Amino acid sequence: MISTKAPLINLQGVTKKYPTGKDDYYQALNGIDLVVKKGEFVAITGPSGSGKSTLMHILGALDTPTEGIYIFKGKEIESFNEDQLADIRNKEIGFVFQFFNLLPRTTVFKNVERPMLYAGIPADERKKRVMNSLESVGIADKVNNLSNHISGGQIQRVAIARALIMNPSIILADEPTGNLDSKATQEIMNILLSLNKQGKTIIIITHEEELAVFASRKIKIVDGKIVSDILLKNKNHGA
Amino acid sequence: MELSEAIKLAIHSLRVNTLRSLLTMLGIIIGISSVIIISSAGQSTVAYITNELNSFGTNFFQINPGNDIMSTFSGGGEPLTTEDVEAIKNANLSNVKSVAAFNVTSRIVSTKDESLRGTIYGMTPEAQELLKPDMIYGELFTNEDVNNRVAIIGTEVADKLYGKDTDPVGESIKIGDVRFSVIGVSKSGGTLFGSFFNTAVNIPLNTLTTQFTGKDEIIEIDVEVNDISLMQETMDEVEWVLRNHRKIPDDQESDFRAISFTGAMDTFNTITNLLTLFITGISAISLIVGGVGVMNIMLVSVTERTKEIGLLKAIGAKRKDILSEFLLESSVMTTFGGLIGIFIGVVVTYVISKIVGIPLVISVPWIFIATMISASVGIVFGIYPARKAARLHPIDALRFE
Repeated sequence: MISTKAPLINLQGVTKKYPTGKDDYYQALNGIDLVVKKGEFVAITGPSGSGKSTLMHILGALDTPTEGIYIFKGKEIESFNEDQLADIRNKEIGFVFQFFNLLPRTTVFKNVERPMLYAGIPADERKKRVMNSLESVGIADKVNNLSNHISGGQIQRVAIARALIMNPSIILADEPTGNLDSKATQEIMNILLSLNKQGKTIIIITHEEELAVFASRKIKIVDGKIVSDILLKNKNHGA
Repeated sequence: MELSEAIKLAIHSLRVNTLRSLLTMLGIIIGISSVIIISSAGQSTVAYITNELNSFGTNFFQINPGNDIMSTFSGGGEPLTTEDVEAIKNANLSNVKSVAAFNVTSRIVSTKDESLRGTIYGMTPEAQELLKPDMIYGELFTNEDVNNRVAIIGTEVADKLYGKDTDPVGESIKIGDVRFSVIGVSKSGGTLFGSFFNTAVNIPLNTLTTQFTGKDEIIEIDVEVNDISLMQETMDEVEWVLRNHRKIPDDQESDFRAISFTGAMDTFNTITNLLTLFITGISAISLIVGGVGVMNIMLVSVTERTKEIGLLKAIGAKRKDILSEFLLESSVMTTFGGLIGIFIGVVVTYVISKIVGIPLVISVPWIFIATMISASVGIVFGIYPARKAARLHPIDALRFE
């Protein structure tokens, strides 16, 4: 059941265990309860090894919880098969990664276009949407450049353009500025901020506490548990 | 994803690693080109020999005196005569269309200015009909000419005696000491059996006997049949007729031999086809080796592109998208390799046919088969790497170092 009134994301008692031996496992997440509403800008912070990347993988439908419930737009998705999860990732979630964001030796156009190929969108429509998306992140002039012929900041912009291309419910960014200098970091965060102001739900994972100031809500994870969840003042706190 | 888009992606991926793709294709290129070369060379040879045999005639069998090849060519054994020819004709066998007879001798052939030693064939009008020489000038002799001193000379003989491109019809010519009238110039259709008509002087059989040999002797009887499929039966019947006529006791072997080219051609075809199949089989092994090369490179490619596969899964690629992308990559690679192989195969066959002097016969069915085979090699040897790629877990792929 999809309900428009339900929160976008609702995690209830989510744990994630990775087997490390025969009867041994590593527990990356330990009973996470989290609700994210439409229009929020959430920063998930924590030291390395805290479980924030695992949380992002589950939020992004790249992985499923070992225990607990994940309700996305009113749908319990932990029972989804691989193809259904792929569909969610394709249509509902836009990813921005720290490394290896773009297909190597492939033009900016083809990189941004790719999610639409999986969705079966016609060529004319694809072309229009790629240009609009690239313009919205101010990089339309690089449309024919190869992905290895643009700067780190530009790569992240292209990644954001691709994340936006299917008009997803949520943008998930994993350390999106981890590789960038302070100027480029500022630019990327400003783009994300402006997307949030236009109503896009954004979740960023970062170990840089200072980036959290852009967000409306800051969640800190330590050892697979949420240790703090703070709404920041004068920010968009979602619908 | 649409197939056309998927093929474009596959071509794009192959172009990213052009040199590697080409080297991987090499096995397929060599395999396919050798299949094309061998099969086309086989077919060209068969077509050439068949054509030569046909131009010589497959619709008749020949009877020579002597019961083995040695005595046939040394002229040993009891000679055949015009009575034997008449005996076959009079038997009125249903499958016998015509009976032709030859004899041969050698004489100095001369004009006022030139002379040469020529092979003189005496033949019946039926023999001319059977051998169908290409007439350059003039006409064949008819039933009314059987006792006349008329001659049809070969092109080489005409060139030597009268000069090139000269029509000698109506001229007189001396064969030995006897004067003949030239009524035609002919050349042989085929070349496999030498320039039989080109280098010979052909006169009526009776004239040869009366003017030169003085003996009723025939070196070869050719029996033309209506139905080639009944050749062996007719050969047996004719042998029976001749044995009766020549009064050969039942416990003795015939003192003549009947030979047909149909049998020889069947044997030749069988041997050539077996040989072609055998060598094509060997070339097919190189295709398997090529296929293993493709699989190896595709496995390397899957490992190298693990992160890329993770990224594609993150942006919504399903298992079947990844599977088809890798499978198309391997099959586009092998199909393209196959097409290059076909091109090289055709060019090499063409060059060989030019060098050897055999007309080119490109095996069209083999071109289709080769294209199908090369595409299938890509699918068969690409399926394992593609499945491996498609089954990667997105997280494992993204985290791969």
